[in-house]
Amino acid sequence: MPVDSFKFLPRLIARIYELQEPELRIPIPWTSLPGPLSECKFGLVTTGGLFHKILDPPFDLAREQVEPAWGDPTYRTIPSNITQEQVGVSHLHINTSYAEADFNVLLPVQRFQELESQGIIGSLARDHYSFMGYQGYPPDTNAWHRRYGPRVAKKFKDNKVNCVLLTPS
Amino acid sequence: MPYWAEKIGVPRALGVEFPFAQTLGMPYDVSFQNAVIQQALEVLETAPAPGTVIHSPLKWPEPAPEALADWQPAFPSPIVKELAPNIRDLIRQKRLSSR
Repeated sequence: MPVDSFKFLPRLIARIYELQEPELRIPIPWTSLPGPLSECKFGLVTTGGLFHKILDPPFDLAREQVEPAWGDPTYRTIPSNITQEQVGVSHLHINTSYAEADFNVLLPVQRFQELESQGIIGSLARDHYSFMGYQGYPPDTNAWHRRYGPRVAKKFKDNKVNCVLLTPS
Repeated sequence: MPYWAEKIGVPRALGVEFPFAQTLGMPYDVSFQNAVIQQALEVLETAPAPGTVIHSPLKWPEPAPEALADWQPAFPSPIVKELAPNIRDLIRQKRLSSR
């Protein structure tokens, strides 16, 4: 059975989505899997609005409150050794209590640490990255494409990460 | 949601029929989270070409009406608050412009 993308969406938000006409980006990027999973180094990225409460500020939700058509395009670093108590979630478009209880629901760092210890994956990066998924209306992802996305990609490449799981929200 | 993955074009994706805010499953449900990750890793290993979107057969364990209500923030986001009164006009305008 195909997944119904709109099953859990209220009608208003579904209509807002239908008003948008994103462009299919051709050619679609592609990098082949570099080898068996047991030899790959993984990094994780989410758009769930996670941040490190001690090291970083939350995403700029105050500006979004006064400029509803704008969304913070910056990113936050989430180290692998972060504890649940250190995880903050700043996102005005979702119920943040789930990730505040167990951040693995958006950024599965601890699940991937288990895969690493079981030898299913080769290793896990020291740092992972979080964006905040709302990028304005109509969405403007230029800052992601031109500035912040390439910065995160470079950090992963510098750390020899060759597989990345992105989890949206 | 595969809707966006298919529209925008991504290298490979696992589409899940879950509410927002819990992309990997419910908090503390380690076995469910692992099942999603296992499927994602299978997509990574087997996707034959760019744009591969596999639809997960996993079912969300909560009834849909409850899940739909639970993932939403306590207060509507600023943009939803702003667009809500005009949404019918916006849809009408879009339909007219696409004719």
